[in-house]
Amino acid sequence: MILAQLFFEFFHIGLLSFGGGYATLPFLYHIAEFRHWYTAKELTNMIAVSSITPGPIGINVATFAGFKTAGIIGSMVATASIVLPSFILVLIISRLLKQFKQNKYVRSIIYTLKPAGCALLAAVGVDMFVNSTNVLGMFLLLILFGLSLIEKRDPLFYLGISALAGIVAGIFGWV
Amino acid sequence: MDKSFYNIFKTFFKVGTLLLGGGYVILPLLQNELVDKRNWVDNEELCEYYALGQSVPGVIAVNMSAFVGYHLRGVSGAFAAMCGIVMPSFLAIVIIARMLDEIVGLKFIQSIFWGVGIGVLILIFLAVKEMWQKSIVDKFTSWVFFFVFILSACCKVSPGILIVAAIFLGIFRESKRRVDAIKIETSEDTDEDEAL
Repeated sequence: MILAQLFFEFFHIGLLSFGGGYATLPFLYHIAEFRHWYTAKELTNMIAVSSITPGPIGINVATFAGFKTAGIIGSMVATASIVLPSFILVLIISRLLKQFKQNKYVRSIIYTLKPAGCALLAAVGVDMFVNSTNVLGMFLLLILFGLSLIEKRDPLFYLGISALAGIVAGIFGWV
Repeated sequence: MDKSFYNIFKTFFKVGTLLLGGGYVILPLLQNELVDKRNWVDNEELCEYYALGQSVPGVIAVNMSAFVGYHLRGVSGAFAAMCGIVMPSFLAIVIIARMLDEIVGLKFIQSIFWGVGIGVLILIFLAVKEMWQKSIVDKFTSWVFFFVFILSACCKVSPGILIVAAIFLGIFRESKRRVDAIKIETSEDTDEDEAL
């Protein structure tokens, strides 16, 4: 039963998340709230972990959620489910490549999907921000924000600094 | 190197292990492996598959790999490329997931995760900023952003429902444009008739 639920949830993420990378995040966050396979805090940890391990976040979190709920079989089911829609769609589109690229409906759909995907991710960001920050967190966030304004860097740069800040804060007993 | 199932799998497996920090770096990695080293596709085709990968739902790196794999060896090529790109991240997480439960209790690790949790917020902010620049181009897209944001943040509507709604909105928009175009055409016809 849990395997069927895993299949359903991750298949529909694979089918409906547009815009890549963080586009899967709103769905994964929604699952944390409603399915309780992992907590929002664990999801945040997973985003950090998946930044230092190979592969896209969607695949990493699918594997992780599957593993937490049903062990190694669960992780296989979840990972296969999230990529299955891609596989099917790519096969179909590869055959109709010309029609797909020139189709006005496809263009119009992508045009409306882009701001929708952006808004979904923004909503997750705001929610995470409200739930997870205290005064010290705000301070760190402001520093990181300032750094991001000066020059855009690799994700690892921000994670490295924030991990260091965490260690320092831990040593002084602030967190 | 011939385009056998095993070779395609191996190539994408290698790219998969190098795919650190999300899927964004896949284009330069594939350029290096497929265009420069193997000469399996040319650069222009690769960029086209990258663009295509973004217009299909799901994980971009996986979509792009499947497109290239299909181009190289049909259905089995797409399957080989997808397995190759997914396998390293699958294995990495299966190994880490076992350890995570044990190490997450340590005070030291907890403080790192506290800091990193804040860092992730900045990453999300930067991702939103980049998507914003690419997607909010006029009044219509601003309204879409506004409504989806309110429904998602305040009403907790599931992202799946909102995406499906956005798809229908896109179809409706194009249909309406077509109907309007026909109307203008016919009204122009009547104008001509009157002039005659």
